[in-house]
Amino acid sequence: MNETIERAPLDEKVISRLREIFGVERLLTSQTDMMTYSYDASFETQLNPQKPQVAVIALSTHEVSECVKLANEYKVPLYPRGAATGQTGGAVSTKGGIMLDLSRMNRILEIDHQNMQAIIEPGVIQNDLNLALKPYGLQFPPDPGSANMCTIGGMVSNNSSGLRAVKYGVTRHYVLGMEVVLPTGDVIVTGGAKSKALKSVSGYDLAHLMIGSEGTLGIVTRLRLKLLPLPVTRGIVLCSFERLESAGEAVNAVFSSGLQPSAIEIMDFNCIKAVNMMKPELNLPVDNEAVLVFEVDGAKEEVTSQVNRLKKVVEKYATHLKFSDEPNECEKLWQARKLVGAAVGLLKPGGFRVYAGEDICVPISRLPETLREIHNIAEKYGIVCGIYGHVGDGNMHTGPVVNSSNEVEMENVQKMVEEIHQLAIRMEGTTTAEHGVGIVRAKYMDVEHGPAMEVMRAIKRTLDPNNILNPGKMALPN
Amino acid sequence: MKVLTPEQSMMTCVRCGACRNVCPTLNITGREADGPRGRVLMARSMLTGEIPVNQEIKDQLDRCLLCSACVDACPMDVQIPDIVMLAKEQIAAATEAGTYHQPGVKLNTTHNDIKKTPAPLRSVRDFMFEKVLSDQKNLNQVGNLLWFYQKSGLQSLTRSLGILKFFPEQMRQMERIMPEILPPSKRKPHMEFTPRANRKKEPKGRVAFFQGCIMDVMFRRTNDNSIKLLSKTGFDVVTPKDQGCCGALHHHSGKKDKTIELAKANIKAFEKAGVDYIITNAGGCGAALVEYVDLFRDDPAWLERAKVFSSKIRDISEIVHEKGELPETSGKGERVTYQPSCHLQYVMKVKDAPVKLVKTIPNTEYMELPDKKYCCGSAGIYNILQPDLANKILDQKMEKVKQTDSAVLITSNPGCYLQMKLGLHREGMEAEIETKHVVDYLVESIERAEKQGH
Repeated sequence: MNETIERAPLDEKVISRLREIFGVERLLTSQTDMMTYSYDASFETQLNPQKPQVAVIALSTHEVSECVKLANEYKVPLYPRGAATGQTGGAVSTKGGIMLDLSRMNRILEIDHQNMQAIIEPGVIQNDLNLALKPYGLQFPPDPGSANMCTIGGMVSNNSSGLRAVKYGVTRHYVLGMEVVLPTGDVIVTGGAKSKALKSVSGYDLAHLMIGSEGTLGIVTRLRLKLLPLPVTRGIVLCSFERLESAGEAVNAVFSSGLQPSAIEIMDFNCIKAVNMMKPELNLPVDNEAVLVFEVDGAKEEVTSQVNRLKKVVEKYATHLKFSDEPNECEKLWQARKLVGAAVGLLKPGGFRVYAGEDICVPISRLPETLREIHNIAEKYGIVCGIYGHVGDGNMHTGPVVNSSNEVEMENVQKMVEEIHQLAIRMEGTTTAEHGVGIVRAKYMDVEHGPAMEVMRAIKRTLDPNNILNPGKMALPN
Repeated sequence: MKVLTPEQSMMTCVRCGACRNVCPTLNITGREADGPRGRVLMARSMLTGEIPVNQEIKDQLDRCLLCSACVDACPMDVQIPDIVMLAKEQIAAATEAGTYHQPGVKLNTTHNDIKKTPAPLRSVRDFMFEKVLSDQKNLNQVGNLLWFYQKSGLQSLTRSLGILKFFPEQMRQMERIMPEILPPSKRKPHMEFTPRANRKKEPKGRVAFFQGCIMDVMFRRTNDNSIKLLSKTGFDVVTPKDQGCCGALHHHSGKKDKTIELAKANIKAFEKAGVDYIITNAGGCGAALVEYVDLFRDDPAWLERAKVFSSKIRDISEIVHEKGELPETSGKGERVTYQPSCHLQYVMKVKDAPVKLVKTIPNTEYMELPDKKYCCGSAGIYNILQPDLANKILDQKMEKVKQTDSAVLITSNPGCYLQMKLGLHREGMEAEIETKHVVDYLVESIERAEKQGH
């Protein structure tokens, strides 16, 4: 743990060129600064923090381009970083090198409400964009749990999504075009260099090659995003189920009744326990295996009618049911879901919640089976764990809770995570639905993709022959 | 009471980054070490002995405003300011003992020369904390001196003689924005009991007023207005004579024994008052009073008394909004905006009571201050210790104030009040924008309506 790898210092010429590009204030070299750039939100980097050799804070495309050219010339690894709220080690150095902090490139350049699009820099925080869009009655829908702190550049690089993906899809669906600095330092604009079109099939869709490439193929410096109207209001139906299977049936029944909820969230019995501990007034029934929270959105009368229809459909399967189409009441019910990520930490006194094995996705039909299997694995290793997730697309977040001073537990949780990932693949699913690969899931890439992995590696070699950009991630060549 | 101690809570940080988007210093520099997550890691690495105490970390931690915005944003309730404080105490102790340099620890040894505070400065500081702030009589003497300084022509004399140029720029500016001190004759002790203004109505409650130390000397008018506002909104007000300083400044300087002594004195004084609520008009003091419980974790007898005391603390805007009955008010047709006090919004969790009250005033237009979540940079004596960063924070704040095009900038804490005045002074906008405590603004609006009614 916390091993420091000794590295040859960076060439003095590189440092002085960086100083020319960024000035003294935005070029950081102290050990203290390097320590604070050695992690993201992943469990992996808590265990094995990795320091870069130097960090720079960029303010413009020109600076980014100059920095990449320099790295390419001297073959120094370069790691682009937004807010480092990721859970995969994706924005952390693996080989020293330069940390390129893009969080200050955070200007909203244009809100073109007539054409339903916005042009922004990559460091804009998801929630800040949505606050700016609100007066226009517009929204940027992809909504990861970290919306209050994650940068949109990071969302694009990881193709993030969140609870409303079941209705609104993922980040990919909202990127119309982007400006990218390639590993050579050249700057291109994809999605039509001068276009403001909302649809285009002209040429290879390079923007979509970049989306989800986790900063291994280029650095996004500007984004043209598609916007949607902001729903007027929303409604919530919260219901409990004696058995996991009946929760699954309820979801099926809702879909086949023609309803399109904007979110369907599941919480298992441990999560129910945890939320009750944090907010006793929510008073969720404890003897049940699952709670589902449905959200619908739209115009007022539409929402009321959807809530009523939903209620009728799920009533047959549920033991308890609460609902509302009144904003304050909805907010209260929604708290059950909102708090769960933090609440699971309460399951074990003195423990903390680990973000690992946290993002698997399986076909909806295999959800109950998968949930039971995860609990079997957790029990085998003696780990307490709450499971919640986006049941509408089969995406599960497992939250193991461990005591950091208990070494056996720390080892067991890693074995457990390994088994959960294998389970996901066995269930015809994937190891990651919305968080990304980074360092932590690189080892599953070959199993998940087979020969397609060679195509990915060939693309990487073509665009980044010196392997400068974010090396050591996604099982691409070293 | 906080569930976890700072030592426990620093271990629960999962580095999710939820604190990133609310931190005023991170917002200025973008440097991870200037954000809460970086600070927790630095403090924790030092406190667990992973790395030795060193100047680099001290300098970084000194940049924290301790505004608590990060605690409010944290899903795990990590007590960042407490953790930073704990680390700073350790640094101070190590500096005094000369043990900051641990031989054999391989890290950065280029900065192992922690600078001690010069001895004369230390004794002045200790004298301030021990003798002046803790004793209302002595503080009143200082108030008399300040009043004399302002009224005797000494102020204009020192200004014209240019003596002030020997002081740092920050202190010179502070001297200029110092509020006008009331003469000793108008700073007599408050009435011990002030009944509700309208005796025909049932009281809204029996409350005690916490007058504060500096507040009662430098902002006496606001204190008088606070008692008036409580009375006019239907409360019977007790102002206990033997109350004292809340101890916040002592606590923030690591003087825990003195803090506990002051806390006990206040708990005793207010127990005697027999009231439903204890009211403060300074977010900084209110937050300290709410946190008294944490001082007595290991003292069961006092813990119970502290719990009762802390549970009664309310901000004046909160109590007036929730339980009081605001009489008729009238504005001047002006536009106003509000910069919240961090301790009020993040520690006491009073987010919009002042705004809700102001919005009820007819003929006053309220405009929200963009980015009001960020601390103004006052934070005790931060602007004297970290002038560069504090000025950048303040300049950005003033940019936002300008955007609202308001005539009045409302605050809810004396530190914020002074900082806003300083900001407006620096921008040369004192003439266009007036700074006002929300209590003064409300009382003026009530009295305006009373006059119009006659």
